[in-house]
Amino acid sequence: MSLSEVKLNVPTIIKEINILDMKIKIRLMELGLNIGTKIIVKNRSIMKRTMLIVFNSSCFVLKENLAKEIVVNYA
Amino acid sequence: MRKILLIGNPNVGKSTLFNSLTKSSEHTGNFHGVTVEEKHKVVKFKDEEYDFYDLPGMYSLNSFSFEEEVARDFALKSDADKIMLLDANSLRKNLYLCLQFLELNINFQILINNYDYFKKYKNNLDIEKMNRKLNINCEIINAKKIKIKDLDLKNNEKPMNNSYFQKISSNSSNYLSKYIKIIKNKYNLDEKTIIYALNGIFNNVNEEQKKFIQSLFPDVILDRYKYIDELLLGVVETKNNFVYGLNKADKIILKPLVTIVGFLLCFFASIYLIFFLMGPLFSEGLNYLIDFILITPVMNFLYSVTSNIWLIEFFSCGVFSSILTIMNFLPQVLLLFIFLTMLEDSGLISRMAYVFDDFLSIFGLNGKAIYITLLGLGCNTVSALATRNMDEKNLRIKTMLLNPYISCMARLPIYVVIASAFFGQYAYFVVTGLYLLGLVVALMLGFVLNKTILKSDSNSLLLEFAPLRPVDFKHVLIVGRDNAIDMIKRIFFIVLGVGVIVWILSHTSFNLTYTQSITDSILFFFADKISFLFTPIGLNSAGIVCALIVGVMAKELLVSTFSISNNVSTISALIASLSVATSVVHFNSATAISFLVFTLLYCPCSSNLAVIKKEIGTFWMWFAILSQFTNAYILSFLIYNSMIHNFFYAIIVLSIILLILFAVCYIIKRIRSKNILCIFCSKNCKGKK
Repeated sequence: MSLSEVKLNVPTIIKEINILDMKIKIRLMELGLNIGTKIIVKNRSIMKRTMLIVFNSSCFVLKENLAKEIVVNYA
Repeated sequence: MRKILLIGNPNVGKSTLFNSLTKSSEHTGNFHGVTVEEKHKVVKFKDEEYDFYDLPGMYSLNSFSFEEEVARDFALKSDADKIMLLDANSLRKNLYLCLQFLELNINFQILINNYDYFKKYKNNLDIEKMNRKLNINCEIINAKKIKIKDLDLKNNEKPMNNSYFQKISSNSSNYLSKYIKIIKNKYNLDEKTIIYALNGIFNNVNEEQKKFIQSLFPDVILDRYKYIDELLLGVVETKNNFVYGLNKADKIILKPLVTIVGFLLCFFASIYLIFFLMGPLFSEGLNYLIDFILITPVMNFLYSVTSNIWLIEFFSCGVFSSILTIMNFLPQVLLLFIFLTMLEDSGLISRMAYVFDDFLSIFGLNGKAIYITLLGLGCNTVSALATRNMDEKNLRIKTMLLNPYISCMARLPIYVVIASAFFGQYAYFVVTGLYLLGLVVALMLGFVLNKTILKSDSNSLLLEFAPLRPVDFKHVLIVGRDNAIDMIKRIFFIVLGVGVIVWILSHTSFNLTYTQSITDSILFFFADKISFLFTPIGLNSAGIVCALIVGVMAKELLVSTFSISNNVSTISALIASLSVATSVVHFNSATAISFLVFTLLYCPCSSNLAVIKKEIGTFWMWFAILSQFTNAYILSFLIYNSMIHNFFYAIIVLSIILLILFAVCYIIKRIRSKNILCIFCSKNCKGKK
């Protein structure tokens, strides 16, 4: 299941990061998003283009297009 | 003199620390990427001079945006001592950058900020254990309150003794060793080059080697975090549900309707309060004060010592009118800056960036553009520099080109004067309408640029949420004071300086003698020669053309040039004179609207143009000038002709003019592309000679 499909406020664990843009993938990893990381979707924007995610004890704004490339499992 | 660099992640409080240590008041804000270039200040302490440098924040040495690159290059090239500032609430993320500096064997001292917030949520940090594990002295501080005497400045002088990283080359258990070995086996690279490359700094590395090393990055990052987790084990204890940056209030704030409607209501209410209710009250008091302490004594003195009409006119209409007409708006400008600072300090901007991102992405922009827009309401030049925190080149160019369409403070005096003179009780709607028009034109142009020459990747937004914080009123007042000083400086150095030149040129005839009639002056003569260009938009008066030309230098000069042209020294006199047909500068409601729209759009000011040229190049500077002038001309033409004729007439005439222009351009292009012999050189030069 991709991160863009998960329910709000339910913890999930990252299984795969398939983002093709290496620059963004590396930056996300540098921020602490990695395989095995616990991630929670806190909010989705009205047009579902952007989402608010929590990982590494911090909150980040992430584009839904990128979230589609992140595979997760419910924790 | 000892140089000390302040480095760290974005929004950890580096600028706040810099301000506390150097007693400065540099721009700080509760948002990612407020500092976009290095700033420094020398302070003396115990007979020694310290040169503190505040650098933009960076998450990693592997830079992602221009501002991170600036900070990284500065930090690595400098042999100065370094202070790494960490946020207690996100130590795991912050330590990543520390680790990279340690890998490069760079010495630094660690300060930990925002501990109060961390403690408030019953989290725990064992600082002594952290010192022992990292083998670097870490201190907990409050960046807002710290003084230079509280800082252990001797710390940086100690040689670093981090045993883990000293073993980097000795085949030890260090996580980098295995990657160094892999790369060494494949390529003939020295260890230093490899370690730098593993941190995203590719010196003396070819493309193939770079690609291979980059492919190792995910594993290296994973290993770095493993080391950080080992380090933090037993050092940091956080509550399970602790999330830095997200508050209970966000449940309400993050509802799009609440944020968008709340922001728009706040914005329009602020404009009304600042420019039409509170501002005028303060302005009257300020006018009275300046008149009492400056103008009346000086004029009385002049009348008592001379009867020279030139000198008296020069001071009353040249000097004092330049100062007074702009000084009148000082309270309004201050109040708006206070409003913007409160917004910035509160942490609401990252919420707005998130909520508006959807809407802005339609026009090829992203949520960060909201921050640029808000800064642009103050000064377009400052906001142009702030585009450095954009992650993508095309996005940055686009945002910088659209930024001048946001009405800055300098344009406000002219809006208020003309709207008050011609639209009376509707003045407020005209002023807010101009703000909205600027935004609409910027968004439309953004849409066109995104579809044509400046396509950008809308996936690039990656923004950390700043925590909501109570507004620090002391900081707000300091920002207000600094902006007041800045505006007074501008008034005395630019407005007064240029105002005096304009007055002299507008009161000097061709035989270099004083003339009371502006129509006989040198300035009027030249302005009159080009005023025909503005006839189609109703602005064919030489006085208006003068103001528009001078306004390119700084938009504040528009009002002062009007007051000089109409020979008046107060705002009320200027407002009254603008509707009198015998005044040098006069309008009717159609020309007034046309002028306001033209002023809103016609050209960035000179300082903004200089920043555009420096940051994105000469081509885009000319693009900004031409595109803004064209947009301003077309819109003013449509509005003016719609008002004096009708909208369809305006559209038809404009279409015919544009068709002729396109036809001429097309014919020229065709002629150049064909092998036609040049009529001047009789060769196939394609018109180049």
